[in-house]
Amino acid sequence: MSAVSPVLVEIVRNGVIAVTEEMKTNLMRTAYNMIIYEALDFTVGLFTAKGETVSISLGLPTFIRGMAETIKAKLKHFGPDGIEPGDILLTNDAYITGSHLNHMTFSLPIFHEGALVGFACCMAHWQDVGGQLGGLTTDIYSEGIQIPIVKYAKRGVVNQDLVDIIRMNVRIPERALGDLRAQITAVKTGERRFLELVNRYGKQEVLTAIAEIMDQSERAARERTRAIPDGVYEAESFMDDDGVSVGQPVPIKVRVVVQDDEVTIDLTDVSKQVRGFYNSGATTGTACAQVAFKCLTSPTDYPINEGSFRNLKVIVPPGRVVSATRPAPMRWWMTFPMTVIDTVFKALVAALPDQVIAGHHADLCVSLVHGIDPRDGKFFMAHMGPLGGGWGAKRNEDGVSGTVCINDGDTHNSPREQLETKYPLLIERYALIPDSGGPGQHRGGLGCETVLRALTDVTLNASIDRAHCLPWGLMGGLEASGNQVLVRRGTEWEKERPNAKVLTAQLKKGDAYALRSGGGGGFGSPLERPAELVADDVRQGYVSLAAARDYYGVVLHPETFAVDAKATEAERAALAPVHKKRVESQKTPVRRLTARELAEKPPEHPVMPCLRISCCGMVSFPFFEEETNNE
Amino acid sequence: MAKSGQLRLAADIGGTFTDIAAFDEASGRLMLGKALSTPAALVDGIEAGVTKAGTTFAEAGLFLHGSTIAINALLERTGAKAALLITEGFRDIYEIGRVNRPDSYNLFFKKHRPLVPRMHRYEVKERLYASGEVLKPLDEGEIVALARTLKTQGIEAAAILFLHCYRNAEHELKAKAILERELPGVFVTASHELSQEYREFERSSTVAANAYIGPKVDRYLSEIDAHLERAGFDGAFLVVQSTGGLFEAHQARKECVRMLESGPASGVIATQAICRELWIPNAIAFDMGGTTAKAGVILNQHVLTTGQALIGEYAEALPIQLPTIDIFEVGTGGGSIARVEKSGALHVGPESAGAVPGPACYGQGGTEPTITDANLVLGRLGADRFLGGEMRLDIKAAEKALYGKVAQKLGMNLIDAAEGVIEIAVTKMAYAVKAVTTERGLDVGNFVLVAYGGAGPLHATAVARELGITRVLIPRAPGHFSACGMLFSDLRYDYVRTWFTSLAGLDFDRFEAIFAELEEEGRWAIEAAGVRAKEIAIGRALDMRYVGQEHLVTIDVPSEHFAAQNRTAIKRLFDAEHERRYGTAAPNEPAEIAGLRTWITGVLEKPKFERVARGSETPSPASCRGTRSARLGEVFVAAPVFDRAELVASNRISGPALIEEHASTTVLMPGDNCEVDALGNLMIEVGA
Repeated sequence: MSAVSPVLVEIVRNGVIAVTEEMKTNLMRTAYNMIIYEALDFTVGLFTAKGETVSISLGLPTFIRGMAETIKAKLKHFGPDGIEPGDILLTNDAYITGSHLNHMTFSLPIFHEGALVGFACCMAHWQDVGGQLGGLTTDIYSEGIQIPIVKYAKRGVVNQDLVDIIRMNVRIPERALGDLRAQITAVKTGERRFLELVNRYGKQEVLTAIAEIMDQSERAARERTRAIPDGVYEAESFMDDDGVSVGQPVPIKVRVVVQDDEVTIDLTDVSKQVRGFYNSGATTGTACAQVAFKCLTSPTDYPINEGSFRNLKVIVPPGRVVSATRPAPMRWWMTFPMTVIDTVFKALVAALPDQVIAGHHADLCVSLVHGIDPRDGKFFMAHMGPLGGGWGAKRNEDGVSGTVCINDGDTHNSPREQLETKYPLLIERYALIPDSGGPGQHRGGLGCETVLRALTDVTLNASIDRAHCLPWGLMGGLEASGNQVLVRRGTEWEKERPNAKVLTAQLKKGDAYALRSGGGGGFGSPLERPAELVADDVRQGYVSLAAARDYYGVVLHPETFAVDAKATEAERAALAPVHKKRVESQKTPVRRLTARELAEKPPEHPVMPCLRISCCGMVSFPFFEEETNNE
Repeated sequence: MAKSGQLRLAADIGGTFTDIAAFDEASGRLMLGKALSTPAALVDGIEAGVTKAGTTFAEAGLFLHGSTIAINALLERTGAKAALLITEGFRDIYEIGRVNRPDSYNLFFKKHRPLVPRMHRYEVKERLYASGEVLKPLDEGEIVALARTLKTQGIEAAAILFLHCYRNAEHELKAKAILERELPGVFVTASHELSQEYREFERSSTVAANAYIGPKVDRYLSEIDAHLERAGFDGAFLVVQSTGGLFEAHQARKECVRMLESGPASGVIATQAICRELWIPNAIAFDMGGTTAKAGVILNQHVLTTGQALIGEYAEALPIQLPTIDIFEVGTGGGSIARVEKSGALHVGPESAGAVPGPACYGQGGTEPTITDANLVLGRLGADRFLGGEMRLDIKAAEKALYGKVAQKLGMNLIDAAEGVIEIAVTKMAYAVKAVTTERGLDVGNFVLVAYGGAGPLHATAVARELGITRVLIPRAPGHFSACGMLFSDLRYDYVRTWFTSLAGLDFDRFEAIFAELEEEGRWAIEAAGVRAKEIAIGRALDMRYVGQEHLVTIDVPSEHFAAQNRTAIKRLFDAEHERRYGTAAPNEPAEIAGLRTWITGVLEKPKFERVARGSETPSPASCRGTRSARLGEVFVAAPVFDRAELVASNRISGPALIEEHASTTVLMPGDNCEVDALGNLMIEVGA
């Protein structure tokens, strides 16, 4: 291939980004379900004729591999001569996409003068693909319709039989087929615009420029990798459980090897696949590693393309919870990979203290409510979320509050006013949780809390994890509060739940539930945080007066919040050994306390409730009580 | 001298300059003045400009004003100490926002920063159901107590946001009345007065912004008002809104956020005025300045608007949920920096050298190569002609920066590097224009590109070529374009109200009653205005979607469809618009309505465009400034240079050529043909 000018390379770079952005816009604006248009649970992209990523517009970060692997599988399935102009290929095979059956993945081969020059692809989450409604699934067959690799359209003719089969297998066919149309619009947009680019600048020139963009990305990745000290880095964390074996932690252990300009992320010691629906496929195992790697080596480089990962080797043997094999259940595939990514950051804290981040809430914190709307007698399914939660602090920055987890990107919550209009629900509260951020020299971000009251009988499902393995602190920073779900029957809040999973609960009219997302871990010792910053946190209500004293050792005037410098100095000196013990005790991520231990709180335990359900249990909120009294 | 009432004065205050345009109805004369803005006392700048334009306030019957004061107060965070009163349980929604994280891989991502800190956000016991029925009545005693707290805290402005107020504003109104009573001198604003649309975060951001900038804008406008009075002005004082429409200054003092985008909006209005005069149906208003390029759309001589503006970078933006001219912005301006990464990738912008130190060629210490430097190296800008020769450009510095930081690193020669930098910038700007046209299903080839702003005329023909646009128009006085636009603006009142209903279940009588209520309010405001409208025009639109979709499409609906209760016709309009925008429609799927919109326009008498002198096809010798070696096309040519001030109507110039004026240079590429029209505009036929 002859070289092209750096100018054309840049023009093609901006060109492919614009193409994928337009695909994204068209999909979002024409989609029928909230999961696509608000949660941005999709991704669109352009790929080479071999299925390598040229540019993808997220969508969700962990979708970084799904489409490329799907195209490669389709190429293998049909063979090089089996794909023709006018074809549109489809599958939702969970073990190919690496995720769940909701991810319908359409690929449109792009031909220029009879030759295959690339693919436009769109993977998007359908709200319903049939299967068991709510509850926990334990195999793929109960999760809905499975569509192998097929041609949705063959030489421009749509396969109506396939459409009819889909229509009969989903609960709200008009939405599903609306989303299908939106996806077709997206891939056709990609085809049209990519061909415009090819026609404008020439096929060979554009393809060569694309190859050069990938080479540039590779050079950037290698250069930045060389800046990471060589070594073997390891870390471990846990998931609460798989929903089947309640209270049985699921280990997440990662190993990162850095040598010169190459990185290996080894996920061999991540837990074996589990019985509950938290599995994902090998495509996602690789995606976890790539997401973490991109965050550390090319966070703001676009387009996202294959070149950035050429110096990353991922080891993920089959049968792990992120490389599950048939018939493992996959419906809630997205939760565990987030903790895998976070654990990679944790492993690299020694190598890249300025670039990594303390643990975050690491869960979508979504809930699903369905029932019959009394206003029109129709079945409704409300996808509530994402809630947004706390993010970890960094070496030089506090963590961000109330923001979607790392699985999500430009994902929006839904306006509460609209939710109340659409569904028979009343939102009593949507707020930040004071003290939920991990204390540190830099404080973790705050988690959120929402309380939803049912205005009719409904069924609730929530499959939230990381209630027990709390978002960890780094370099002396402390952990944050975890995720939590609680149900209110009548006026009575339940006291405890073994985890944050509500796998089908019937709520009566007037009952409510609360979702609370965790905060982000702290970075550095809270005893080093300037007292004035702590005072401001208290003034703003991000940190309570008690926590300022108990974690930060900062003594404030109870009304003016002025810093008492002398008392603070003494408090900090006294707190130093306690803080050390806290850090030590938090090194074991999961520590369920027995009833006896609860009765005799450990010496390092803060005076105030710690928000761990396994320890201090639910904290009662004045708001809840007052609200109930008013009813 | 003109008699009082026949002269209209427009003042556009920007960061650097205050532009004055004055139009004398009696003589049909347009007078222009430019003065440095005077940040400390902005009124002085206006006064200076008016004097330069050769007129006085006392002569004017109408004073029109647009200013960056509102947007700057937001961007520079120099607003008031504000508080937000909000429905119980929702104190943090303004901070939580939409929880999105656009910069998905960046662990150092940032979120919007609320204008009101958490300690000044207070929960209020009250609650409405989504239907507007009261779940929990407002506790008036609590508001009285809160007022005392606000007083102790030294709060200067208070915003009120209650959920579902667009269905029932009673609680907001009551709370506002109590605060106004208890806190004289404090700026009080309630969300429903600005936006009667759902989306509590966007509405709280809107009302908080209004409170935050309120006291400052209020003070500023009242100072101008006092100044006008002292200067003997007794006409109407009107302010430009983000829609490009005008409203009375006393309203602007309360609803300050409506004037956030008054500057860019005026430019689009000016473009619209030219389109109307020249019978051009469709145009792109293309404004390229020092740090960004902006594009707005005129479709069938109407300005396209949107329901929301985002202030600041997308990831950190503060939403303002108000009708605004739809303007797409891209980080490419004259000062945008070209840089080569270690990987060998060449990027242009969005980093900008700004005004200080500015491009390398400004000789103010800038060392980074910018788009302006590239233009100088290519001879498209004259070193001794910049700002009418007031500022000499340093070509050596430009060459050095461009060679050292781009050409050498990529193994290119200096000229190819300069050409490449501009080419990249041009394609990026072309994408910005596509974003407002192609992505809406509009065929950009049918549009005229109207280019203004300092750097617009330099790149207009190149951007047009990239887009397949064949006609470019460089207006007269592109540096005063926004101020001139104000002279062509109308009084305008916009109302939006959220009202969820299926199209099938639409209660036409109910809607007619809501429209009537809103339109009455608008009529009343127009009739009460200090200037007489020639006629009142009313537009109606519905926000619609297919049942199950989220994203709304706004469709203009003629009143007769409401009168005839014609659901089928409304559905057809929606299907057609969906098809045009997205290439798909679902005529068999049911549609729903999320809200209604109406805008009431008080059409004002417009100035007549001034005709310029007419001459022959050949420009006069006085207009010829000789030639300059410039790269226009594949090679350097001895390009003839013209002085625009000396050109007259009917003059024709063929590319390659350069046309210089005070603050700008128009580039004609080989194959381009330019003719000066009767109004003094440069009409360019872009060559193939």
